[in-house]
Amino acid sequence: MYHCHMYSQELLKGTLQTIILSLLAENERMYGYEITQHVKDKTAGEIQLTEGALYPTLHKLEAEGFLTTEKVSIGKRVRKYYSLTEIGTKQANDKVIEFRKFSETMNDLLNSFNQPPKSPERGLSPTLQLLSRLMLNEKTESPCLT
Amino acid sequence: MKNKKQSDAVQLPAFGGVGGGSELTELQVDLIDAYIKENGVAQSELQEDLLDHLCTSMENRIQQGESFEEAFQYTLNLFGPGGLKQVQNETFELLTEMNAIMKKLTFGFGLTSTFLLLAGTIFKLMHWPLASIMMVLGAGLLVLGYLPMILAHKLKESPKGEALLHISGFVGLTMTSVGVLFKVMHWPGAAVMLLGGMGVLAFGYVPIYFFKRYKTSVNKPVTLSSMMVSVACLILIFALMKTGNSSYYENGVMLTDESLTEELESTSNLNAALYASALSTDMTELKTEANELVAHIDNLKLELVAKAANVSTEEALKINLIDLEKKHDMVIPRELLLGADDKLREGQFSAIELKGLFDHYRNSVLSQYPNDLQTVMSNNLGLRTDGAFRNAHGEEQDWIHHQFEYTPLFTLITNLTKWQLDVRQMENQVLLSKISRPEASNPPS
Repeated sequence: MYHCHMYSQELLKGTLQTIILSLLAENERMYGYEITQHVKDKTAGEIQLTEGALYPTLHKLEAEGFLTTEKVSIGKRVRKYYSLTEIGTKQANDKVIEFRKFSETMNDLLNSFNQPPKSPERGLSPTLQLLSRLMLNEKTESPCLT
Repeated sequence: MKNKKQSDAVQLPAFGGVGGGSELTELQVDLIDAYIKENGVAQSELQEDLLDHLCTSMENRIQQGESFEEAFQYTLNLFGPGGLKQVQNETFELLTEMNAIMKKLTFGFGLTSTFLLLAGTIFKLMHWPLASIMMVLGAGLLVLGYLPMILAHKLKESPKGEALLHISGFVGLTMTSVGVLFKVMHWPGAAVMLLGGMGVLAFGYVPIYFFKRYKTSVNKPVTLSSMMVSVACLILIFALMKTGNSSYYENGVMLTDESLTEELESTSNLNAALYASALSTDMTELKTEANELVAHIDNLKLELVAKAANVSTEEALKINLIDLEKKHDMVIPRELLLGADDKLREGQFSAIELKGLFDHYRNSVLSQYPNDLQTVMSNNLGLRTDGAFRNAHGEEQDWIHHQFEYTPLFTLITNLTKWQLDVRQMENQVLLSKISRPEASNPPS
């Protein structure tokens, strides 16, 4: 699972593969610790991967043929570098595009909630209108609430 | 670039700078390695990953001025409460997840076999055609498709020590399913399969299951649902066994046999008395043939019972049919009367021989009637072996196959008694027509 300070686990679930694949697409080859540090740096600590989530996913991606490993011995120990295979590169692309689209859609969807109180709430069902007003702590004249 | 800095740092020989440097010594690396192995990480690929990760992270911390112990504790805490073992478990779970095709295939097998079995059962209960094909296909898919896939997945997913549990469960379930199928289809060997299957489940799977459960999680009671499923299965099996050979039905057939036998005796006695009275023609030949045919059928019955009970014909005499264990057997009658292979058997107690005896006797009886009566008598006398018959599926059959191919032993024996009675009644009709009654043969002038 993620160690995270700002985002709920539910929210981040399912994006781990995308994060790893896109990082490797950028950086050619990386080892496990490097990946966790990179994510931490890039997100200014907002998302922190734990090893408990990272290594299972890395091994899974390797088993599925998206990643290959390269072992380099460092003194007493072995360092495993992970890099994308050909289909891994394609998968990384697909995943990133998929996530972009998803986040755009979510943006569009959520923007309509976040509009200033006076703007018309066109296209929203009465229930959603009520919900959005509730979420924005807006006083309402709606008979339902009085 | 932080990454670059790290790689530079670890590329220094680890055993070089003890003391001031941030690199771990060879001994320290060994220590961490031992810790990883001791804490339940068995997979070597993962061991390597974790060792490098721990070392790199710790070297980083030490560089920032922490001691070995502090750095170790800090890094370990990052793994969360489940520790290193949790990483391995999660890796294992992710790696053994069924892939999409396997999932679909397993689901498809399960769905199709369940559907076929249920539909087959309904069709069977309603006596509609195709029931048997559905049940055989359904059970086949279950035993050859679904169960092996589940077994393969279970073996892959669970630790090695549990292989015996899953294999015994698989063998037990397979044998029980095949046994139920055989029972429903009235094929031989059903009882052995059922007993074997349930034996494996009872003495293999269940004890191992409870033992493992006891060992792994002391407080976790066996889930109610799994308990209910097993109880439901047992009830189903008993229900099937009950309907398979209802004792009410058996008693009914036995009662029929009893009353037929009574009727046979009284008709025989009646005929014997009639022979003693004055007859218009000599009937010795018909009498001999009738007696021989009845005796032949008696011997055939004895032979059947002797084969079923695996005793001599003398001992078979003492056996009560209702107590005969193999009274539902269809193979013994078929093999005796039709033969073991596709070609019809000839010789003693064969169906061909019996048919010949019936036809001959019938002709002898017919010849006793005047010519103008023979056609109508021929159509209405008993023991007819010509013409076409239909089996339960509506297919045409000859008399021999219709009577002997799939007839349970005790039903056949009742039928044989009925034929004996036919012999006697045909004899009786001839006798009655031949009785010389003075008022009939010599009308008053």
